[in-house]
Amino acid sequence: MSNNTSNRGFNRRSFLKVATAASVASVIGLPSLGMERVLAARRAKDSYKMIFIEVQPDAVAGSWSQGIAEVLKTQQIIDYQLLDGQSKVDVQISLMDTAITQGVDAIFLQPTDSVAVGPSIQKAKDAGIPVITLNIDSTEAHASHVEMNHYFGAIDIADALGKAMGGKGNVVILNAPPGIIIRDQRTNGFKKGLEKYPDIKIIADQSAEWDRKKAADVLSALLVANKDITGVYGVNDEMALGAVDVLKSKGLLGKVMVFGNDGEKAALESIEAGELTGTQYTDVFQQGRFAGSVATVLATGGVNPTAFQQQSHLLMPYFILTKDNVGQIQPNQRWG
Amino acid sequence: MTDNNILLKARGLSKQYGAVQALDNVDMDLRLGQVHALVGSNGAGKSTLVKILTGAVAPDSGKLLIEEHPISGNTRAMLDAGIACIYQDSQLVPALSVLDNIMLGRQPTRRFGFLDRKTQRDIVTALLAKHDLQLDLDSPVLALPPVQQKEVEIAKALSLNARIILMDEPTAALSHAEVEKLFRSIRRLREQGVAILYISHMLDEIFTIADQVTVIRDGKVRLSVPIAEISKKMLIETMLGQELSAEVRVTQKQSHASTEVALECRGLSKTGLFENINLQVHSGEIVCLTGLVGAKRSELVRAIFGVEPADRGEIFVYGEPVKIKHPLDAIRLGMGFVPEDRRRDGLFMSLSLGLNIIMAHLSSATRLGLLAQGTIRSVGNEQIADLGIVPARLDAVPRSLSGGNQQKVLLGRWLTGNTRIIILDEPTVGIDVGTKANIYALLRKLAAANKAVLIVSSDIEEVLTVADRVVVMAQGRVTGNFDQTQISQELILRAASGEVM
Amino acid sequence: MLKFKSLRKTSANFGLIWFYLVVFIVFSLVAPIFRTTQNLTNILSAYSHIGIVAVGMTFPLLLGGIDLSVGSIMGLVAMVVFDATLLFHLPGWVGILAGLLTGILAGLFNAFLIVRVKIQPFIATLATLTAYRGLTYAISGRQINPDLTVVAIKDPLLLSIDGRFGQIPFAFVYLIVIVIVTMIFLRLTRFGINMYSVGGNLLASRLAGINVDRVKVLGYALSGFFTAIATLVLMSRMRSTQEGLGQGLELSAIAAAVIGGVSLNGGIGNTFGAALGAFLIGTLSTGLILIGVTGYAPQVVIGVILIIAVSYDRFTVARRKRRWLELQHNDSALIGSGASRT
Repeated sequence: MSNNTSNRGFNRRSFLKVATAASVASVIGLPSLGMERVLAARRAKDSYKMIFIEVQPDAVAGSWSQGIAEVLKTQQIIDYQLLDGQSKVDVQISLMDTAITQGVDAIFLQPTDSVAVGPSIQKAKDAGIPVITLNIDSTEAHASHVEMNHYFGAIDIADALGKAMGGKGNVVILNAPPGIIIRDQRTNGFKKGLEKYPDIKIIADQSAEWDRKKAADVLSALLVANKDITGVYGVNDEMALGAVDVLKSKGLLGKVMVFGNDGEKAALESIEAGELTGTQYTDVFQQGRFAGSVATVLATGGVNPTAFQQQSHLLMPYFILTKDNVGQIQPNQRWG
Repeated sequence: MTDNNILLKARGLSKQYGAVQALDNVDMDLRLGQVHALVGSNGAGKSTLVKILTGAVAPDSGKLLIEEHPISGNTRAMLDAGIACIYQDSQLVPALSVLDNIMLGRQPTRRFGFLDRKTQRDIVTALLAKHDLQLDLDSPVLALPPVQQKEVEIAKALSLNARIILMDEPTAALSHAEVEKLFRSIRRLREQGVAILYISHMLDEIFTIADQVTVIRDGKVRLSVPIAEISKKMLIETMLGQELSAEVRVTQKQSHASTEVALECRGLSKTGLFENINLQVHSGEIVCLTGLVGAKRSELVRAIFGVEPADRGEIFVYGEPVKIKHPLDAIRLGMGFVPEDRRRDGLFMSLSLGLNIIMAHLSSATRLGLLAQGTIRSVGNEQIADLGIVPARLDAVPRSLSGGNQQKVLLGRWLTGNTRIIILDEPTVGIDVGTKANIYALLRKLAAANKAVLIVSSDIEEVLTVADRVVVMAQGRVTGNFDQTQISQELILRAASGEVM
Repeated sequence: MLKFKSLRKTSANFGLIWFYLVVFIVFSLVAPIFRTTQNLTNILSAYSHIGIVAVGMTFPLLLGGIDLSVGSIMGLVAMVVFDATLLFHLPGWVGILAGLLTGILAGLFNAFLIVRVKIQPFIATLATLTAYRGLTYAISGRQINPDLTVVAIKDPLLLSIDGRFGQIPFAFVYLIVIVIVTMIFLRLTRFGINMYSVGGNLLASRLAGINVDRVKVLGYALSGFFTAIATLVLMSRMRSTQEGLGQGLELSAIAAAVIGGVSLNGGIGNTFGAALGAFLIGTLSTGLILIGVTGYAPQVVIGVILIIAVSYDRFTVARRKRRWLELQHNDSALIGSGASRT
């Protein structure tokens, strides 16, 4: 595409020559001349534009955006815009296209799918735009990936839950609907973590669609069939809180251990109130700030997004919070 | 008597629906090149006859002959036999062109289902030329004025090689000038030898266009004569049952009418429907609003009750000027309305009688947003007992009730609460004689209780029986207003035919 | 001249084209970046597949029905293709054929529920919306082998479905071809005319001897078929799928069709309008982002346009009726005076 402007007057043979040269150049990773111009222009700019394409509006994405905006605002030269992907991968692809056309200087992306956004990321790279993904990585290498630690976090949750249950009993997972990588990473990590406790059995793994009310309904139904549930893992905090709602109404609080995931404000309050047993906490504001910082450096420095041999991974530190340590999380670290 | 011109013979057609004899031994002849008018009041049996002719229903007994060949069967068979019907409701596809509508489902095609537009156009053009119809073939029918839509339907019937065309109220949606245009088309059809059965309530039209007229009443043919041999007055008398006048006199009633005007309309008008209507109903008075079908009486009472409000004019309730924009306004003013089609517009067929009765006064039976079952029971039981509704069970549903009992349920709805003005549209249509008397007695009782009662009725016998005062309408205007001393059948009939008294 | 007039009478397309041009010009003036080739290419590429689904949706709508299941059909078709290529390693053409067949079968099953079981289209396709989505989860190769979530389809045939002729995305070319073919089908073939007949006046169609059931079956099958084509285009671009693919697509497609002048009462509209409707939505969404309107405002704007489109339809019908009524009223005044003289 970038070569299209200069093909007038070319005969077929010279076109082939140029094409071969271009492909050789791209294989050995030499930045093309066009790219160099783009990057030089970016370094010389005095105002920048960045876009965050979220999957859908929710507590996590909102808090990221807040963290990103916090950092970008201090630069005073960066215009920032949040776009809703409406949970649809084709909408995200279209928004990526629009952002590239606008010539933004960096794109934050929470992909709906690792593979499907690949070509869009490729297009952004061709246009010299760094892409920073949040939580869900893409199969297409890009500037940077900033994520909560889903897999190892879930292992630690399983460990904490196993301890709280005294090493034995029956557990149910209130899960996300299939099709999202986070779901798989968290579920697999959780199962891995429980391997340490051979006397704990997972007796149900059902989708509650990320939703508090839905989770309450699912757990109510499960409790009717299985009286001896002693542990619940909600794959996000909302679903864990839904479980707490049910247990509270049935007077089972304290008898059934419930862990969530993410660590949003409501979950921390529930832990402090002695209802939710625990959760994995990540400072999502901080995650947003990291992403914002990375983008600022890459964009204002005019860094070629394809320059790195290896894509950078920023893994956020996390804590397993229970009643014992929840107080350590300061009010300004509480998000959601 | 042999008559070579007879195209279609109907002999001894009978059809019974439940207890109702819709058609009783009907004979009729349709002749080549003749416009044959079929008239009768609502429920006289016209539509049943049409359904038999189009094959939509089969007669219980009797036969149909086309040129002495017996025919029978479903709609398709009747079409093939050459009988087409132009229904009151359009049988056209609005978005399709005239060309496609005329040959709907029969468009000539070439290979792979592609339309052969040229052949189709040639066929239709020839057809229209033959019958001297002028239509823009490419215009969608929804863009055509109503008369041209009728002409498209005629062309469609002709393209089916129909030799007998039934027209059910073809002028219902047409303006005066358009009616003239349609008549010109009909006359051309007549010249071509097409037999036309023309069904209409518009007597003026019948005297203009028809050659022969057949009157049916209560399922029987009462008269079938060339139009030249009958006067308008006689026709109306036959339709409404003239022989009644010998026995049925104006019943001397004890009127309870007071001087208090409960409901009054002044200059009420609705464009295209009725014009400058003045009407008074006193407390304790029963006023019958009568006239021929098409006089727009139902439209008037629906406007008064706020179903489709009038455009201009004033309504007064107990002397107070009021604005009624919605039935709720009317109900708040103490008005009740029993519609003509009680199954469609009145009853909730799958709700219990108790709920049906309380429906217009739900707020009085609601406690903290919940229905008070006790109130519903007591109110419902009271009405069931008062009105003698059978079965006397609150949990019965209207579906299982006879017409008369259904009507009583609707009456019961308005007898609860503070209803002071009751409007009834054709309250006894489809109700047997015994229950009719029952309902009349109820209405009289209402009047005695100082309620104002306004009844729309086409049944002259009913009017003479129950009315304290009769208001006659014709073509959207009041043409007569008679108090008890003046009421006579002749005056009513003359007013109904449009003569202003 | 006559032709021109009748075209204007038959379609709301004229108004829509004007409106589209106005929107286009306004955005071009306000946001210079809007009129760049690249942006126009983006819009064509982002909304062509919705246009294709909207074309398919036109058929059930013309029949006076609706197909709420298109989003789930998309998910199902994509998963069938995904499984065929990534799970069973079948060649691309098998996946493509299986996908198209799945779309048609899903449409035929909808038709079966509507025509044979006689369930209202809204309810029938609401049921299959859930059922097809459930089936998609059940057959998901991503669940059977979680590693496939990060594997892209590499089959050259499948990947070649989406691409570009210069600046023109293939998807748009497909849409153009589909619109031309369906317009010919609707206007020039007996089956097409029958679609309008059945949707415009069911009883009249039946009386005219049209095989109403067969027309309905074809309509829903076409909806499934075109959804399958749109799915293949989208998959070729994404090189993968997810269980949730296509969620909410039915609303976009119905909105596009209705904005494009297809009546929800049936019998009115065409596929060109539906496709144009999709691009109107696309142009508005993209244009609003480019002029800096963010968040959820674009969705509100599209809702408003939808309301305008539907009420415009009602408005024209009401106006025509009023005109005829007035005509009639003036004439009946004449009758009245004539009658009183006799």
